Amino acid sequence: MITRIQGLERKGMNLARLVEEKCKEYSNQVAIVYQGKEITYRELNRNVNLLASGLKQLGIKRKDRVAVMLPNIPEFIYCFFACQKIGAVTVPFNTMYKRGEIIHILRDSGARAILCLSNFVPLINEIRPEVPQLEYIISTGERTLTFADPESTGFLQLIMPKDNFLGLDDAYCKIGESLTEICLHLGAKDVQYKDRGSIYSKNRKIAGFIFHEIEDIYILNGIIFLGKFNPNPFLQAIWVPPEVKDKVIEPLTSIEESTGKKPDMDEFLNAVSKSFDDKFGVKLRKGNLERDELYAYQKHRVLVSKVR
Amino acid sequence: MEREWRLFYKPEGDAADLVALPASIVEGRIASRYLLSSRITAPTVIVQGVSHRALVAGADVIIDREEAEKAGIDIAVRGRSGRGEAKVSGTISYQELISRGSEEFECEDVEEDSLVLLLYTSGTTGKPKGVMLTHRNLIAEYRIAEKLFSITPEDRLAGVLPFFHIYGLADILIVGIISGSSIVLIPQYSPKELMKRLSEDKITILITIPTQFLHLLMLARQKPPPLLSLRISISGGASLPLDVFKEFERVFSRRISEGYGLTESTAAVSVNPSDRIKAGSIGPAAPGVEMKVVNENDEEVPIGKEGEIVIRGEVVMKGYYNQPQETAEILRNGWLHTGDIGYKDEEGYFYITGRKKDIIIKAGFNISPREIEEVISSYPKVKETCVIGVGEIGKREEIKAFVLLKEGEKSNQREIIEWCRQRLASCKVPDYVEFRDILPRSVTGKVLRKELRDDYQDPRFREERNESGKIG
Repeated sequence: MITRIQGLERKGMNLARLVEEKCKEYSNQVAIVYQGKEITYRELNRNVNLLASGLKQLGIKRKDRVAVMLPNIPEFIYCFFACQKIGAVTVPFNTMYKRGEIIHILRDSGARAILCLSNFVPLINEIRPEVPQLEYIISTGERTLTFADPESTGFLQLIMPKDNFLGLDDAYCKIGESLTEICLHLGAKDVQYKDRGSIYSKNRKIAGFIFHEIEDIYILNGIIFLGKFNPNPFLQAIWVPPEVKDKVIEPLTSIEESTGKKPDMDEFLNAVSKSFDDKFGVKLRKGNLERDELYAYQKHRVLVSKVR
Repeated sequence: MEREWRLFYKPEGDAADLVALPASIVEGRIASRYLLSSRITAPTVIVQGVSHRALVAGADVIIDREEAEKAGIDIAVRGRSGRGEAKVSGTISYQELISRGSEEFECEDVEEDSLVLLLYTSGTTGKPKGVMLTHRNLIAEYRIAEKLFSITPEDRLAGVLPFFHIYGLADILIVGIISGSSIVLIPQYSPKELMKRLSEDKITILITIPTQFLHLLMLARQKPPPLLSLRISISGGASLPLDVFKEFERVFSRRISEGYGLTESTAAVSVNPSDRIKAGSIGPAAPGVEMKVVNENDEEVPIGKEGEIVIRGEVVMKGYYNQPQETAEILRNGWLHTGDIGYKDEEGYFYITGRKKDIIIKAGFNISPREIEEVISSYPKVKETCVIGVGEIGKREEIKAFVLLKEGEKSNQREIIEWCRQRLASCKVPDYVEFRDILPRSVTGKVLRKELRDDYQDPRFREERNESGKIG
């Protein structure tokens, strides 16, 4: 107790030093309990240091703003204390905020980096052109969700070397235009590629996509709503607090709602082929998985289907 | 020569295919990279549909497999992405970032008055403002908790309030860590989960909002609660209904200390000390905090008289970021003007009676909505209520009560009005009562009066309500 008070009264004391001292003082005590796992003060300090030096290597420095859009998970704590060690300012905000609120906070604070859950990445990615000072999106957790419904969703995936595009912006632009064309080929009205990664029809989302990358390859994951989508059965199968259920799904529409008729998968394929011919000057030719791919395919099917 | 891209067309695929097909192509290509085949650079297009409902989820998504089976949903869970796995383009994965880091880090020399946090709060008007908090503010807030509750390394705190809110951040995270205690993280709140963690993790300190205390009571009404190790229970963020306080004491044999604070004051500035709790009060000013009640000229008013509560001390924010005018207005004469109306009793305990901007002026009387709310809430069928002033401010304001009934209960406007008439001066009796299934809330559970008022004033809602039902 005396040590604590002495620590606090010392002139020039800041939170970072205080927390560091506490981590040393209580090194073997449990600091955080998360999902049954105990994290000691020593481990806390180690994790904070790892992140602080990682952020510093990115160029985050004193007085820089780092936004945090996380629930109460250990990464929130590491980031908060890591920013203090650097002298940066943490800007935490509500994980339920919508795009307008997020844009305001990121712009007003001038955040250079944001740490968020992986499932919020598409949202941050969409608004990125509107927050030009945001340099880094750091994602954590594995909370991505894709709903697939035989009555409504069609998927378009593309695996290709990065050098087919001039860069990521070019990739988003070309694929955005391409998906817009696909929607138009299928008869949808008032289709617009408005946000990075989202295609709208009459101000409701009709298709979306996101790029992943590994080494020199881009992986595109796109979804198009061919028929009217009902999220309710899906929401029963995942844990979502009742008061936020309506916020999980943004207003959606579909080709069916726009044209009065749901296209079948063959029509979807034709629209894809036509659009890729126009946009990239390529023909699509049906192929098969080759040896290595076939082995990897079997392995991945087993891995993803494994009941935890 | 015509360019060709390889196509996989699978109109009736499944959840596993949505992951396995692209993954196999990526992996196949990387594996055959060393074969120097020209084929490996050919782009591949996959067009897929599913034959039945499917869900592709990240490893951290909580899935109810029983429900999924009932709804006929096929599940595929993506593996954890480690270093060297695919990531969203233009982002950095947390794992990747810390893999470059070092286990040792030298703290920057930062002054106590340097900014450490920018927290955005919604004011009554305009866009959220960034509240600037410093190292000094947060350390001062810790000192309050230390002096009031003597938190020790043996304590275990429930990390149930979100850390993106000042209440959770300052009073749980910082207080917990500087005290050397353990914080049990509860990232996804449900009443059952909170009760379970309280019991299984032997939590000793619960700092939360009135709604969550109420939820615990609702669970306890269904079945006897487990034995808890709680030694301190603090409620803040919104006013704690008296019946919740009493029932909690009866059921759990523990008293809830009600406290009070703002983002602008780095959370709590007054709390009922655990050994001298006064129900309905937000407690006396915390150690190191000066608190008083003032009139419109910033002069302190006598004990028992209502006025605006103002605060001074090291916990008071530096100001609003880039908002000099708003800062000057709220921090005038060296005091933080809370906008909350209340009074102080002879023992220095403060009581909140309403909010300055929410005050209803009817027939020349200043009326605090909270006073009416307490009366309506005490009606046995009522679960919760929110009272607002409607009509043109300054001309002819009327009182409107939004009422949420307890499950299975039925009531009508006349019953509520009659109840109020028996207990309130006639000018304070609501003119309108509207029953609602849900009330708009902020993250701390506070009912958002402004939203109710805005939607009441929206002419579209007015038409829908066919507003003629004024109670005579």
